[in-house]
Amino acid sequence: MDRNQITKWLKSPAKMANKYSLHVIYFCTGCGIIEIPPVITAKWDAERFGVIPVATPRQANLFLIAGYVSLKTLKAIIRTYEQMPEPKYTVSFGSCPINGGMYWDSYNTIKHLDKFIPVDGWIAGCMPRPEAIFVGITHLWTLIDKEMADGYIRYRKNYAAYRRNQEMLFSNLGWPPLYSIDDEPEGGSQEAGVGK
Amino acid sequence: MSFSLKDNLESTFKDVQVSMPEDTRMAIFVPRETAFAVLRYLSDKGFDHLALVSCVDWQEEGKFEIVYILTSYMRNNTDYIPEQRLHLFLKTRISRKNPELKSVIDVFENAEPYEREIHELFGVHFEGHPRLIPLFLEREYEIPPFRKDFDNRKYVEETFNSIPSVED
Repeated sequence: MDRNQITKWLKSPAKMANKYSLHVIYFCTGCGIIEIPPVITAKWDAERFGVIPVATPRQANLFLIAGYVSLKTLKAIIRTYEQMPEPKYTVSFGSCPINGGMYWDSYNTIKHLDKFIPVDGWIAGCMPRPEAIFVGITHLWTLIDKEMADGYIRYRKNYAAYRRNQEMLFSNLGWPPLYSIDDEPEGGSQEAGVGK
Repeated sequence: MSFSLKDNLESTFKDVQVSMPEDTRMAIFVPRETAFAVLRYLSDKGFDHLALVSCVDWQEEGKFEIVYILTSYMRNNTDYIPEQRLHLFLKTRISRKNPELKSVIDVFENAEPYEREIHELFGVHFEGHPRLIPLFLEREYEIPPFRKDFDNRKYVEETFNSIPSVED
């Protein structure tokens, strides 16, 4: 262990433990999947950074979205994100989730992922090299240290706006709101706060 | 084999144009009324593998062109000669205003998802298809998105770019 970090460990051990054991769930569409296998296997070995892939969103605290996001995918992404336990961080990988990328005029691909779920970090490129994931991870450590990786807090706070944006694309989302949306002008239903 | 097939097709069906762009490739143009019968005939002849059903939008001519690509497996094709392995495509044109065609699921079972896809992306109605429900798309489109008159940029502007950002 780095001696310089001992004070940090003593001050907030939970945060430090959280930071160095990122259990990641990958959401790979299109070319995103090509970069992930070398990252998690022997060649680049993400476990050096404490990043390990897990089977289900319920065990994960880092959500890596790699590749373009189509409408059907977005539905799955929202469901996956809402199932993850807090604290949870989102990193989007590649230029497509940032602004559409090469799908900027596609009829079925969403352009800005941060309109629908909060995103803590972006890794730009088409596609970025696997090393970029590690640069992103170390940046995320800094953000967690400074408590700037607060996507899940913002999601709670602005849930009404996020839910409204989601419902602009899907008229029938198929699941109840995760948090209360009482600050809506038409008044969210009382059972809305129950969530899942 | 290919030349006898050409003669057979031309003598059996009228209005069928058969051409051979290459030695191993055969193009068949049929009117929409006889398309189903020709496909059944080819299936009986040993072309039992439907590789693809596709659609082309000829906007200026007001037509949709449905393309069936067929190949044959050796075991079923008695006339098979390795040097003359045949790649066959069948094209038929249907009206763009009222796009309807008989489904070929009775002959080639694997046409089902292809026809669903064409129905969803081009708006072609296939008579006799058991379930013409959406395959890929989540939203409903006024104009099916693969038609030439579907304006991608306008749609993106109205649908995706009009959604406000949540923060700053």
